[in-house]
Amino acid sequence: MKDILKIALGVVTGIGGFLDAGTIATCAQAGARFEFRLLWVVALGTLCIIFLSEMLGRLAAVSHHTLADAIRERFGIRYHAIPLVAELFLDVIVLAAEIGGIAMALQLLTSIGFPWWSMPVAVAVWFLLWRATFDVVEDGVALLGLVTLVFAVAAIKTHPALHDILRGLLPTRPPRAPAQYWFIAVSLLGSLLCPYVLNFYSAGAVEEEWTEQDLAANRWAAGLGMSFGGGLGASVLIASAMVLYPRGIDASTYDEMQLMVSIPLGHVGGTLFAVALGITCFGAALQVALNLSYTMAQAFGWNWSENLKPAEDARFAATYTLAIFAAAIVVAVGLDPLKVTLFAMAFNAVVVPFVVFPLLILMNDEDYLGAHTNGWISNLVVSFCTILAFVLGIVAIPLQIFGGS
Amino acid sequence: MHLVRDLLDNQVNDKRDRKMGKVDGIILVLREGKPPKVEAIELGMSTLLSRISDRLGRFAARLEQRWGITDGEPVRIPVRKIERIGIDVRVKVDADRTTVYDWERWIRRVIIEKIPVPGGGRTGGGPK
Repeated sequence: MKDILKIALGVVTGIGGFLDAGTIATCAQAGARFEFRLLWVVALGTLCIIFLSEMLGRLAAVSHHTLADAIRERFGIRYHAIPLVAELFLDVIVLAAEIGGIAMALQLLTSIGFPWWSMPVAVAVWFLLWRATFDVVEDGVALLGLVTLVFAVAAIKTHPALHDILRGLLPTRPPRAPAQYWFIAVSLLGSLLCPYVLNFYSAGAVEEEWTEQDLAANRWAAGLGMSFGGGLGASVLIASAMVLYPRGIDASTYDEMQLMVSIPLGHVGGTLFAVALGITCFGAALQVALNLSYTMAQAFGWNWSENLKPAEDARFAATYTLAIFAAAIVVAVGLDPLKVTLFAMAFNAVVVPFVVFPLLILMNDEDYLGAHTNGWISNLVVSFCTILAFVLGIVAIPLQIFGGS
Repeated sequence: MHLVRDLLDNQVNDKRDRKMGKVDGIILVLREGKPPKVEAIELGMSTLLSRISDRLGRFAARLEQRWGITDGEPVRIPVRKIERIGIDVRVKVDADRTTVYDWERWIRRVIIEKIPVPGGGRTGGGPK
């Protein structure tokens, strides 16, 4: 019974916590510009995140160590400094993207410009972290995040043809603008395989004191939760492909993305889009900010837990405090949150191998995993996706920046 | 035991299982005609950063002294105080009797206690 509850909570977390500014923006642009042709990237990224989250849960349950802990311990500070610095920098940018997403949602609802919302939003995010425990953050985000099911409803209401969806699951060459096609493919993979998601998952498992008894529940929660979450990402792409693509709207602003819900569902759909965007970005902002603290604390061996009062882990609380306000400044100066999001997602894809390959080595290390080391299928799937993300990243990002399309 | 793989950078916990930091350095004593002997482990920002660059390590020590955070010296734990070495290193030391929490206390004093919002206060359990 306890296991079933744990799995159910894992599935709700997978659904409610899956989408964020990055996944919404990249899936919407993929559908608006290339119809169903990038659906295979969502499927591949989802498959990879299922394997990765199962591994991270297993690492935490068996060794009681998180990913950042274990990378420092096994690979030393000289290696760890590379992903650590890259991830801290990227997390602040992703945090800016999430705060920007909430601010944009509030702009859609109130017509007050997004830069004005950046500081109130930052204070709200910070205040919740300052006061709440880990369970409140994780479960609250998951339950409120269920509003993102509106994307699935919108996708169903557009009546997509099954054969179009199935055809999209097969990789094809882009019909036009190859640089843009591959850049969006990289951003999609980067949004699905965010380093912050990986670290947060393993830190969460340690916060919840998982043990080897939880391995079966972990496997089911990762498999089902992330599959449903990936389904939601696919729904955003499908709704966008059905609504925006035929009208020639390329989803280059959040206002345009709103149409993929407001056209099939009417006026209430537009409001629900803004609410879903705001809530999902709020949840992600909490997770990214916490992850910055987790990453620092675990890299340097500090005392850490969201369940402690800020004065009991002052370095942990100070890290998220400074990060939130640094990110809010990026939004307050008026940088376009959508552009910040898309570039952060693409760079995620380049950074992720520096985190995932050490993970693969650790998952085959009996000192950490005992009898629960990886099988060859897990090693193969994750290696393939990570190499693909990295290669696409180093090819597509310069092409996009220097106008290759 | 492989010192770099099995000891360096591992988590150090005190006798009450509180996190003290990582093994940032290992002190070896060179002996005439004999292999070097491990004398102690070191924890400290200056030791850690000096492994990346000597200049960075010296800069960290100067900064810690100038801002009054620590005396700039790393915490050194003799090898005889090590109780167990696994993926964590447990030492027979009370963390509160060392300077490992100097940064924690400084940040609490300079940042956390200055924030006039309820909920940040102490309820016990953390490093004093």
